[in-house]
Amino acid sequence: MDGIHDLGGKEGFGPVPVTAGDAPFSHDWERRMWGLAREGICPSMTIDSFRHGLELMVPGDYLTFSYFQKWATNYLMLMVDSGQFTLEEIGQGHASDPSTPAKAKTTADIIAQVRAACTDFSVADDTPSRFAIGETVRTLRQIPHHHTRLPAYARNALGEVIAHHGSHLFPDEGAHNRHVGQHLYTVSFTAAELWGDDANPRDTVTLELWESYLVPA
Amino acid sequence: MSTFDSDHAAKIHRHIHSHLPSDPALRVKALESLAVEKGLIAPETIDAWVEAYSEHIGPMRGARVVARAWTDPEFRARLLSDATAAITEFGFEGNATGHLKAVENTADSHNMVVCTLCSCYPFSILGMSPAWYKSAAYRARAVREPRAVLAEFGVELPEDVAVRVWDSTAELRYLVVPQRPAGTEGWDEDRLAALVTRNSMIGTDRDLSTGAA
Repeated sequence: MDGIHDLGGKEGFGPVPVTAGDAPFSHDWERRMWGLAREGICPSMTIDSFRHGLELMVPGDYLTFSYFQKWATNYLMLMVDSGQFTLEEIGQGHASDPSTPAKAKTTADIIAQVRAACTDFSVADDTPSRFAIGETVRTLRQIPHHHTRLPAYARNALGEVIAHHGSHLFPDEGAHNRHVGQHLYTVSFTAAELWGDDANPRDTVTLELWESYLVPA
Repeated sequence: MSTFDSDHAAKIHRHIHSHLPSDPALRVKALESLAVEKGLIAPETIDAWVEAYSEHIGPMRGARVVARAWTDPEFRARLLSDATAAITEFGFEGNATGHLKAVENTADSHNMVVCTLCSCYPFSILGMSPAWYKSAAYRARAVREPRAVLAEFGVELPEDVAVRVWDSTAELRYLVVPQRPAGTEGWDEDRLAALVTRNSMIGTDRDLSTGAA
């Protein structure tokens, strides 16, 4: 979708806040949000439905909310969408049907859980790949209305395939909780192709792109 | 598993926008209270996640990996060919590093990592991402004017050094391997790791200083 999240190449944001955020957390609520998100309190969520949920936020909020503020809003939406919370419960701040408390975990439990969370997103797929390393490809000019991972700045552009990763979970389907694989490539674009002839001719921008985002050049 | 409907999700977002206070502390409090009362998480588990990512999982992990690559040519080769496997030698695999690629700076090239569509980051080796990495300004500008962004970080890159910007659009994450500073011959891994800054592993720092070590 042509959402507000697609920030690559947009102008007018001013300097990067280079000195901000050297501490892991600035506020206690950020700490709580991090723990809630990492523990996976929304079992029906996938990595792409989480991202798509952020993209569907009210655009003005997306641009003005901080990172964890967006997460909090998105998690509330996801919990309601998946039927775990009601909007009334959120308004009241309490559950209408409390359950047995969850078992507490220790830091050692969490460190082990982090290692176990090393997720492999490759998908078994015996369909032949369409593009070869070294081949020039063109990206699509149009994208679908739902979640997709072809940024606006890299559409309808010529690039070179520099790596093929086999088939990976396709985010356009993963956002809707459907587990489908598609060949994934790393494609390199010259800065001049994306931004014009004023760009340094040595510079490149490289993206991972799924096969259906690409057509032969 | 239920499917996720974009229109339904957008409608809930609009309701939340119109009816709930925007104060994030209140929103997170509601989220935690309901999740705890419904038995989805214990409050102590949240504390444990914060402790894990404040004290144990952070950029010191990536720095250790870089220092090993500088001192052990065989490890460097393994890291550059398959970083996902190489970091398991340290037990550093985990959140968002199921597919990891190490990209090495050279005298005539510089690597820089961004996620323009969200804020993807290799958590299990670099810890929490810095606020600037998640800012709209960095996400917007890193792909379009990386040299100007680097200058804001104090990195003046000569014209003849090529910049390669990696936009993390899939589940592949990147670790930049900075150049080993001159004058560190014979240093051990601990001493070298102390030189490696978090920003140098994202690509917004380049020439590491030996002054502080």
